[in-house]
Amino acid sequence: MREAIHIEKPWFSASLKEWIFTTDHKKIGIMYGITSLVFFIVGGIMALGMRVELFNPGTQHVSPDTYNYFLTVHGALMLLWWAIGIWGAFANFLIPLMIGARDVAFPRLNALGYWTFFAASVIALITLIPGNQIMHMWTGYPPYSANPNSGLTALFVFIWHLTGAASIMGAINFLTTVVRMRAPGIGFFNMNLFLHGVSSMNLIQLLGIPSIAGAVTMLFLDTYVGTNFFNPAKGGDPILYQNLFWFYSHPAVYVMVLPAFGVISEIVSTFARKPIFGYKSMVVAIWAIALVGFMVWTHHMFVSGIPDWVKILMSYTTVLIGVPTGIKIFNWVGTLYRGAVVYKTPMLYALGAILMFLIGGLTGIPLGLPAFDIAVHDSYFVVGHFHYVLGMAVTLAAFGGFFYWWPKVTGRMYSEALGKLSFWTIIVGSNVLYFPQLIVGLSGMPRRYYDYPVIGEWITLHQIQTVGAFVLAFGILLGIIALIKGTLSGEKAPANPWMSNSLEWRLPSPPPPHNFDEPPKVEKDYCPHGYCKF
Amino acid sequence: MAHEVAHHGEHEVSIWPLPVGVGVLLIPLAITAFFAWKAPLAALLAGGVGLALIIVGATGWAYEFFTKGHDEGHGWIAIFFFIISEIIIFGTMFVAFWMARVNHAEVWVNSWIPEGLSLSIPAFLTLVLWASSFTIWRAEVALEQGSRSKATTYILITMALGILFTVMHVSEWVHLWHQGFTLMSNMYGTGFYALTGIHTSHVIVGLILQAYALMFILSGKMNEKKMTMFSATVAYWHFVDIMWLLVASTAYVVGGLHI
Repeated sequence: MREAIHIEKPWFSASLKEWIFTTDHKKIGIMYGITSLVFFIVGGIMALGMRVELFNPGTQHVSPDTYNYFLTVHGALMLLWWAIGIWGAFANFLIPLMIGARDVAFPRLNALGYWTFFAASVIALITLIPGNQIMHMWTGYPPYSANPNSGLTALFVFIWHLTGAASIMGAINFLTTVVRMRAPGIGFFNMNLFLHGVSSMNLIQLLGIPSIAGAVTMLFLDTYVGTNFFNPAKGGDPILYQNLFWFYSHPAVYVMVLPAFGVISEIVSTFARKPIFGYKSMVVAIWAIALVGFMVWTHHMFVSGIPDWVKILMSYTTVLIGVPTGIKIFNWVGTLYRGAVVYKTPMLYALGAILMFLIGGLTGIPLGLPAFDIAVHDSYFVVGHFHYVLGMAVTLAAFGGFFYWWPKVTGRMYSEALGKLSFWTIIVGSNVLYFPQLIVGLSGMPRRYYDYPVIGEWITLHQIQTVGAFVLAFGILLGIIALIKGTLSGEKAPANPWMSNSLEWRLPSPPPPHNFDEPPKVEKDYCPHGYCKF
Repeated sequence: MAHEVAHHGEHEVSIWPLPVGVGVLLIPLAITAFFAWKAPLAALLAGGVGLALIIVGATGWAYEFFTKGHDEGHGWIAIFFFIISEIIIFGTMFVAFWMARVNHAEVWVNSWIPEGLSLSIPAFLTLVLWASSFTIWRAEVALEQGSRSKATTYILITMALGILFTVMHVSEWVHLWHQGFTLMSNMYGTGFYALTGIHTSHVIVGLILQAYALMFILSGKMNEKKMTMFSATVAYWHFVDIMWLLVASTAYVVGGLHI
């Protein structure tokens, strides 16, 4: 009888003890989400610190070492905690709901995955203590990272090991869940595109992370034990680190964007009131990006002294990635065409994410060509490019996902006016911030420097960027306020406010503790996006 | 139905992942304390507490699974995914070794190969490890047929062979190290100890998994109806044994030949 009362409670009204020892995928998803968001804010504050320093040439508020520290930790937090970690939150909460399962395949392993991620967070916070800073960029190239002046390399190594271990536990868990625990009637070609997005993401994590884990292990041994992996005098090779690093870290950008593509697909098809255009080509494109993503990594190393034939080969594969990506953008536009588009907040965010990804993608294609890349390598042009794709496309898709699934997660509707205001503030602020980076990069400003010469044009462009950065930060704050306000005082959400056909919307909002008490039966031609066959 | 609701109610919380997670935090902190902060006492403390937490947590975890959980048979696919990612970890070390071997072939052959390197030890170690692959397969078959005592015997033989392998390998390292062939001496030394070291660490993990399996087979909790964990252990052990062939042929043959 006691259990019968227990089951009536929604997932979030649990005691502290239940939260700490939970193995419930919904609670773990929320814990991932909160951790990611906190570190997103910390990384954002560090970025504002850098922008304040760059407002004028010369040293003003931030010392060079602090600037390097901000640069390093901003990169690590935004990529590992935000752009990758936030999809851990979405995947945890949504995968079992979308496939009609009670939980993931290994709930305890899932909890351990979160606590390992938390352990990495503690190590990231230790770098805030003076004397423990890391200052060799999130890439940590040797020989500089093996030099004591670059900070505490051990902490850098363990940040990678622990976030990597958490991701591998998650990847094994989610892949097993999707492969083995789908409800009858849900197959490979009628799953949510979000499921394809996170599954391909997890496969990349599984194959890529061991490479970076090996690379940073060698870095640790070289720094503290005196081995020769990256020591050319004794037969080692510093380029080896770059190869192993980018063998993971280039596919890692698809770890960040493929789930974002999934979220965009869900939102666009729901709010265009149309089945997704070209569903099968979308599925093939996602997996093609995941596959080709492993064959392009040396385009990060065009100036590292690698053979010309490698540059040409990887230049072709890099441009080839534009094909499946183009297919996806074409299909989103095809979905919108003649759709009854409803411009709710999630839809605005998804369309914004497509726009930003388009700008980032179009600046990325010339960067794949060695002739152009060598000219602008390590300039602000590259910074602008990856902030469009990884910074804004991923952030807008993640916020779109927040607003889209918020009624399902909390059982409350968010504030529509505040949500739309946050979107417009973010889209204006981010373009004011990142577009001048492309221009100042083309005119020769190198990245990573805390200072620049007194050139009138550069000063203007940097001041515009700093203003944009503060507008963007304000917009993100507004977005978070809109979500919190919705949770506290929003109206009660119905089970399916968006009239989506997908399985997670057939549960009450918020979902009951065990999701489906009976394994769900889906209709014979079930398709999460209206219908799949056409 | 009421019974089933109660059954799943127990599964929403487990106290064991958190202590393992704290252990996972303390071990890297101990290594950092030892190498970077130069605080060996703090390192010993953090490492000891971390290791204890992992052992206690993992034991409680396994105990909880065998008393309350039910085997849904997902384990084999999880270990398959895990082995794929392990292969790539080994791959990074192989790449480092082979790149140096090709790029520095001349100096490698002329001055890096130690005198005391003999092929008979790795050949014998291969026999030991592959014999253990056979015995653990017999243990799996015995457990499937419900013969727990037979399975126990075969696991004990497997563990003995695994321990023999580890002990012989460590004495081989000590022998070579005293001849001046160390991790630091050159890229052959670095690659040799990295490859064989990472492999032996996997052998030790395999032995620990077998010890866990043995414990639960002896107490009767692991049986033919609930043996996915043992099948996963067996798959892992086969992986370690096959990997040894690549490790040994690279570390001893590719590295040691005067070509």
